[in-house]
Amino acid sequence: MTDYPYLIDIVTKRYFDGVDNQQLAQVLDCFTEDAVLTEVTSNTVHTGRDAGIAAMFRKLFADYEGIWHGNFVHTADPEAQAIGSQFTVLITPNGGSELRYENCNRFYLHDGRFNRVFVYMSGDNLLRTGDA
Amino acid sequence: MQYAPSLDRAGLIDLAVHRYFAAVDRKDIAAALACFHDEALFTVQTSFTRHAGKAAIRRMFEDFMGAYATIVHRDFTCTVDAANGRIMASFEALLTGDDGQVTSLHNTNFWRVRDGRFQEVYVYMSGANVLV
Repeated sequence: MTDYPYLIDIVTKRYFDGVDNQQLAQVLDCFTEDAVLTEVTSNTVHTGRDAGIAAMFRKLFADYEGIWHGNFVHTADPEAQAIGSQFTVLITPNGGSELRYENCNRFYLHDGRFNRVFVYMSGDNLLRTGDA
Repeated sequence: MQYAPSLDRAGLIDLAVHRYFAAVDRKDIAAALACFHDEALFTVQTSFTRHAGKAAIRRMFEDFMGAYATIVHRDFTCTVDAANGRIMASFEALLTGDDGQVTSLHNTNFWRVRDGRFQEVYVYMSGANVLV
């Protein structure tokens, strides 16, 4: 059972820090091996830390030259081992103009790592299926 | 924005699910509006739509409740941050039109509660915005 600071820190200091700095190993270390990440607004499902989720992040990091997540507001629930996070995303495609999203994620943890993640985006899905 | 906690875990779930959504599903606008402060903000974040103040929220509910023969919200999963007056819930919204057509949405709401009522509500929808 993890506590309140742990839930905030795995989301911000480990997961989104890894995404923003394009550190794939740091990002994947936040997930259980059998994790599933669903982009709800497009019903896109990425299954398995080392398969679908890893491929999705490799594609994301290859396609975008700048990624920033901030302006976080968290709803953290140690009793349920869950945290919901609302945040702003500033993301720049390679050679393109910066896009702004206002997204939320729902994280459900098992043994201290993300087991189920649900992403809602305020624009087109950025978390597309990658090559395995 | 962080508000002083006013409800415990059970109280937040009761407000969001048993009072608010139960009122919406029975099309009881007065009971639904009683959950909001007069100056509350209601934002559908996935479509950048904001309803500011109880009058605007009432107009939104009148249009929404008039657009569907039946409204059902079900299968709630609540994440509660009582120390900060916040609650998040994922759920299915089943909206049935007068012609029998059913719209199913898998949404997530975030509520920020001040003095026992909603100060801010954020809705993330899996499909087109129905709260216009």
